[in-house]
Amino acid sequence: MYRSWTSHLWRYLLILIAVLIVAYPIVWMGTMAFKPFQEWTTVDGVHWIPEKGTVENFLFLFNGEVESLVVTLDRTIWKPLLASVVTASLGTFIAVVIGTLGSYAVSRFGVGMNLPLSVLQLRLFPPLAVMIPVMVMWAFIGAIDTWWGLSLIYAIVTLPFSFWLMKTFFDEVPVEIEEAALVEGCSRWRVFYRVTLPMVKAGLATTALFVFILNWSDYLLALLLTRKDWVTLPVYMSSLASAMGGQMYGMKAALGLIAAVPPVVFGIMIQKYLVRGLTFGALKQ
Amino acid sequence: MTEQTVETGAKKKPAMLQHEIEAKRLGLYMSLPAQLLLAFIVAFPFLMQVYISLTWWGPLDGTLWTLAYESMNWFGQYGEIFQDGRFWGSIGRTFAILGIAVPIEFLLGLGLAMLFVQKFPGRPIFYSIMLTPMMIVPAVTGLMFFLLFQGTGPINDMLGLPQNYSWLQDINRSMITIIIADVWQWTPLMFLILLAGILGVPEDQLRMASILGAGKWTSFVRIVLPKMKTVMIIALVIRVVESFKIFDTVYIMTRGGPGVATETISLYIYKMTFADLEWSYVAAMGLFILVALSLLAVLGMWQMSAAQKRQKAMMSAES
Repeated sequence: MYRSWTSHLWRYLLILIAVLIVAYPIVWMGTMAFKPFQEWTTVDGVHWIPEKGTVENFLFLFNGEVESLVVTLDRTIWKPLLASVVTASLGTFIAVVIGTLGSYAVSRFGVGMNLPLSVLQLRLFPPLAVMIPVMVMWAFIGAIDTWWGLSLIYAIVTLPFSFWLMKTFFDEVPVEIEEAALVEGCSRWRVFYRVTLPMVKAGLATTALFVFILNWSDYLLALLLTRKDWVTLPVYMSSLASAMGGQMYGMKAALGLIAAVPPVVFGIMIQKYLVRGLTFGALKQ
Repeated sequence: MTEQTVETGAKKKPAMLQHEIEAKRLGLYMSLPAQLLLAFIVAFPFLMQVYISLTWWGPLDGTLWTLAYESMNWFGQYGEIFQDGRFWGSIGRTFAILGIAVPIEFLLGLGLAMLFVQKFPGRPIFYSIMLTPMMIVPAVTGLMFFLLFQGTGPINDMLGLPQNYSWLQDINRSMITIIIADVWQWTPLMFLILLAGILGVPEDQLRMASILGAGKWTSFVRIVLPKMKTVMIIALVIRVVESFKIFDTVYIMTRGGPGVATETISLYIYKMTFADLEWSYVAAMGLFILVALSLLAVLGMWQMSAAQKRQKAMMSAES
């Protein structure tokens, strides 16, 4: 009894240290978002908890100006926010639809057996090593700095995840159920659409959230393929500093907080399937 | 609970011929979008990249890329790579980050996973907290550590260093900040995968071992580790592949600077693409990396299958 108590104590102590390390950067940025500029630095002491808490950083981002600041913002957060939501969602939608169809074909009919490995290859190379042709092509079809151009590249780079993740969910559905429906006289497509798809509904939602997190987290592709109109939140964030001259720590922190929340919430929702998604179905939990 | 799935390919089909034909056709239709998308993004761009890399073409030439043949350079750009000190420097820095960060992530992740093997009060909550860093947008992680490592930031304050003690603008220390940010963000990934691996070890084997008098350490080394070999390899491969691409955090934190102190391969290519606009050289570098990584991947898979064969041969020799 005594021994298990001390071993628990050690465990909690170590975990507490780990939690503190995890929390340290998040808390600093999270509180920074609510601090007035006098408290942004540690020049007159550390302010872990904002002394004069304020939402002005957020107001500044959304309205472009606040009373306490002389500077104004010529581009507010609204458009980048919209760009992030639209491109991440549309990219997710395309990736999930194509991945679902393709993985079902491989899982059930053995058609397109080249797909699993080729989509996996998409993940091996650094995007920058293969971006020159993509940029030339995107420029050629007029897709640079458009919502559909960015969505398209998102769909492509996250296809491997949606493909493999959906495949694991299809593989889990017993074939016997489909066979029974076939005997009843359903067509193959109806079996897929009416029988199998409803059975993997939860898997579909998981895949969509997983892929959305990946798309939402992108920085590089948006940096390469957008210029002004459709920059996403992370690109907007990094442009904020250079445009404003001075270091707008508080505004950047507020922006970071806004960008960070959706993936964390979605990630916790699907945490049971994270292992599966991240290892392309090689491991299940 | 964890199981490694073996790719079985097609499931058994019902023995109805008419349905089988219908199935083949439907399968073809269903896989068509994915095939087309792959052809669109793999085959054509690849040829285009090879073509551009053999020329002097750049976006400022004012000509379409199709006319790049007017300024053929053949293998000139590839020859350039071998004399490009900045290229090899950036490759070296990428491997330095990878070589330091990934082992640390692995060991910390394994240690954390060991803490979470047994159930204890609060485990689910702590588990969720431990996973948070990997879900944060990498660019935002860059911002977090950018804020932390400011001269007037909390790190200097905590360590009692003067406010002009700089991290991000220092040639030696900037690299440390990048590695710290990477470890912070990706240790949870190692933790997640390795914990799944440990929990996948059959419990009855461990119980049997302890009945037979094996200590905790012995059963860990003799039972858990061998069973986890595949899981460990998967975790390491994923992290190595991903950290080779490292860009977002570095770009936000230091822009590759000061000078080229934190310039990884992705940052170098980015700068050549947008600052120097030498697109044909970038195309050549990209292909060079592509070929090198593919060779490594083939070599790795060949090694793995050879090891598997050896293991099988040993097992059959034992029985």
